[in-house]
Amino acid sequence: MVLPERESPVGKKVSFFVTCIMDMIYPDTGMSVVEILEYLGVVVDFPETQTCCGQPGFNSGYRDEAKQVATQFLRAFKDAEVIVTASGSCGAMVRHEYPALFADDPQWSAAANRAAAITWDLTEFIVDGLGITDLKLRLPQPKTFAFHDACHGLRLLKLGGAARTLVNHIENATVMELKDCDVCCGFGGLFSVKMAEVSNAMLTKKIEQINACPAETIITGDVSCLTQMNGGLSRQKSAKRVVHVADVLAEGLKGKRDGDSIK
Amino acid sequence: MNSRNTILKKLRATQTPFTDVAPIEQRRNMVPLAETTPDALTQRFIAEAEKIGCRVYAAEDAAAAFERVFALLNGDKQISAWDDAFLPMPEFSETLKTAGIEITASDNGQVRLGITGIDAGLASTGSLIFSSGHGKYRTVSLLPTVYVAIMTTNQIVADFETWVALQKERGLDQFRQSSNTVIISGPSKTADIAQELILGAHGPKEVHIILLP
Amino acid sequence: MEIQSNNFVSLSAIAIRNSEMQKAVSKGTRNGYDKRLAAMFAYGEEHGEAMRQQAAEAKRRALRQLPELLEMAEANMQANGIHVLWALDADEANRQVMDIIKRHEVKRVAKGKSMATEEIGLNHVLETNGIDVVETDLGEYIIQLNHEPPSHIVAPVIHKTKEEIRDIFIEKLNMPPTDDAAEMVAFARKKLRDIFLSADLGVSGGNFIIAETGTLCLVENEANGRMCTTMPRVHVAVVGIEKMVENFEDYATLTQVLPRSSTGQHMTVYTSMINGPKRPGDADGPEHVYVILLDNGRSDIYATKYAEALACIRCGACQNACPVYRSTGGHAYGWVYGGPIGAVLTPLFVGLDKAKPLPQASSLCGSCKQVCPVDIDLPRMLLDLRHDTIQQGLGDTLWNLGIKSWAWGNSSPRLFEMGGMAARLGQGVIGQNLPAPLGEWTKFRDFPSFAPKSFRQLWRERQKAQAQS
Ligand code: SF4
Repeated sequence: MVLPERESPVGKKVSFFVTCIMDMIYPDTGMSVVEILEYLGVVVDFPETQTCCGQPGFNSGYRDEAKQVATQFLRAFKDAEVIVTASGSCGAMVRHEYPALFADDPQWSAAANRAAAITWDLTEFIVDGLGITDLKLRLPQPKTFAFHDACHGLRLLKLGGAARTLVNHIENATVMELKDCDVCCGFGGLFSVKMAEVSNAMLTKKIEQINACPAETIITGDVSCLTQMNGGLSRQKSAKRVVHVADVLAEGLKGKRDGDSIK
Repeated sequence: MNSRNTILKKLRATQTPFTDVAPIEQRRNMVPLAETTPDALTQRFIAEAEKIGCRVYAAEDAAAAFERVFALLNGDKQISAWDDAFLPMPEFSETLKTAGIEITASDNGQVRLGITGIDAGLASTGSLIFSSGHGKYRTVSLLPTVYVAIMTTNQIVADFETWVALQKERGLDQFRQSSNTVIISGPSKTADIAQELILGAHGPKEVHIILLP
Repeated sequence: MEIQSNNFVSLSAIAIRNSEMQKAVSKGTRNGYDKRLAAMFAYGEEHGEAMRQQAAEAKRRALRQLPELLEMAEANMQANGIHVLWALDADEANRQVMDIIKRHEVKRVAKGKSMATEEIGLNHVLETNGIDVVETDLGEYIIQLNHEPPSHIVAPVIHKTKEEIRDIFIEKLNMPPTDDAAEMVAFARKKLRDIFLSADLGVSGGNFIIAETGTLCLVENEANGRMCTTMPRVHVAVVGIEKMVENFEDYATLTQVLPRSSTGQHMTVYTSMINGPKRPGDADGPEHVYVILLDNGRSDIYATKYAEALACIRCGACQNACPVYRSTGGHAYGWVYGGPIGAVLTPLFVGLDKAKPLPQASSLCGSCKQVCPVDIDLPRMLLDLRHDTIQQGLGDTLWNLGIKSWAWGNSSPRLFEMGGMAARLGQGVIGQNLPAPLGEWTKFRDFPSFAPKSFRQLWRERQKAQAQS
């Protein structure tokens, strides 16, 4: 399936889609996204009637229910010029699934196509949309990182490169390789509940690689995978943690020397 | 209605799938070859054949090739082989007979070494390709543990795609006349036991290629 | 073969606890995955990707013309001297093989590797009829000795370690003890050589049939396929009707993409093109060649949105790439085909009600589609099958309710916010463990705390503060 073409988002107001999990569990990460965008001079808006993209229902086969929820998304973002989100699988839901989900719905199909064509993931928005590769950031302390590529972002939205580019440019950040960084962590939404043992077997392998990786911190771009991996790391009493790329970027704002500016 | 018609009818009763799939504009060959001069192809053929575990010997002339055959025979008094007409060496059977070596019925399964010619060599993958037929016994390249192919450099073509194009030029009837055509790429092997690569699963353990100019 | 697919959850739990199998499968799949990667992109990523699309197009174009190609192939095979039979289902195909066996007074059958014959359960039928049938692919031979089905499309015994295989040979065939794989292979070679030389019938599958030439095509490395199609008097190939290829050029693409994808070879050791029985004057080759064109549900699939599944060339790459398969192996899928393609094909072949968990057995990570040499959108089909599950009323009652209330709670911002507050309060009571049916999750992982304030609360406060300053 070909993703819809997008126009340049330069100079447009951004409507932030925080996603349900980030809203309730990782609000600080949401704030990091806002900080970064505002640092870039982008005007950010938060449509307060947003809820969830509908993915949990869609992925488990409940398309009517998924549509019900997705319709709320379309209502909430009906005036948006550009939608930015920071969770690969939710972005993929909008970009990749909405057009087909609403294809036979005369009332909503135009809005669904439009949403698919104005939605960006944070990192690709910065790199591909705004054309910025160096955010001129600096961490207060030197740190080592490695990336875990969240599946939907990687395979449906071709993300991964943009996040690496941005973090590579942060002063004091060293990026290392995580072995099997493109292998699924085992989350898969309700899969991790319905097939908990299989999911855990996958997670166990991921954690083995994380523990073997010399980097202190693993970066990813999807809060659900982050929840899965940190849930496993915590249960196994590992000191390693997975963080969202937006939080790493926001931390880079803290170590900035005066005078370093992007604008 | 018989099953044939039931199946065909069912397939036709439905909407044809994949009507929207765009045709490939320019079919490409599986291996892009930078150089296709005869020399380059020969070099490539040798390199690829060796990569997949064949041993290649360039023989200046028939005498050198015979020498190689006798060395591979290693004292054996019996071999299986194709008929002379399909080997690029003059008086092959006569020469062996004179040396006291018997060419046996092709399929007795007892001999250690089998010798064939080929129809073509594929440079891109180091493969040998030939059809079976009268005097071109299938079993010679199959039953023995040591298989020897004797060929000339002008039998080397760029790749399988080129060979296919040649068949089409010639008319496919010729290809179809033969009951069997095989591409051989190296010695028989298996990795079924815990991915350990073992040569000589059911077919030849060694493949030797004698390459005449 | 008895269909066990509805037991996926318990079968996979057993598999996950089988440490020998875990070792074997993870080694085997990784090996296959790495080799495919190297071979497919040996001439650059762009080239490899283009080859994949070329293969994908060839298969889809062939499927588009499937009825015509079948007729063309039949006519050309007949002209080549091949007897062509059509089988609507497994029973008919098995009956046809039995008829051939009777007609030619066959006592012993040497069998090459074939998923189609697994699908129809041919061995079982032959054995019940007192026919001596021996699998000759080394992997298939081993599992036949051990009375197991294959667990992988191209590496049937991928689930066993060398030590386990050694023990099977010792126990079943009195092999002199050895830990050397080469000695085990040599031992099996001897045993099977006798079979090749004494069998009256060779059975094979078929990787492709070239319609324009009427050619049956096989790829293999061991030479057992060549043996089965050369040594016995009679050769029968059981081939799915979807194996048609329009022309010789398409075949050239496909027969080279297939080994790159499955074993990481540029060509298999033997790539055979069979144009019929031996010709007058030929010294060797079978006297009779039969091709059984097997439907067995394929024409039904052809009429659905799952037609793309018929493009599969059975390379096994999706199995090697799948993190679920890597954890469970193939047997957990409970029927002939495991891994992502099995999770799609099994419900299509045996019915969704008999394979309900399989479409769920995926995190939808998408690596199967990424590696598939013919670009089959397996995740898409898994999603569609999940949708079918719900539409056919096969959904779990508890989940039906759960999702309904989720949809209700998420279709209004107010309810959404109330839900968030309730979750926070709830967590205060139950701690880091989630309630049923979500409780499965916290068996293995700690659930994070809900934040004291949601993002929207933080946002509102921030807006207020900004408005004041
Ligand atoms: S679905 Fe694709 S990757 Fe899987 S076996 Fe079939 S052809 Fe290979």
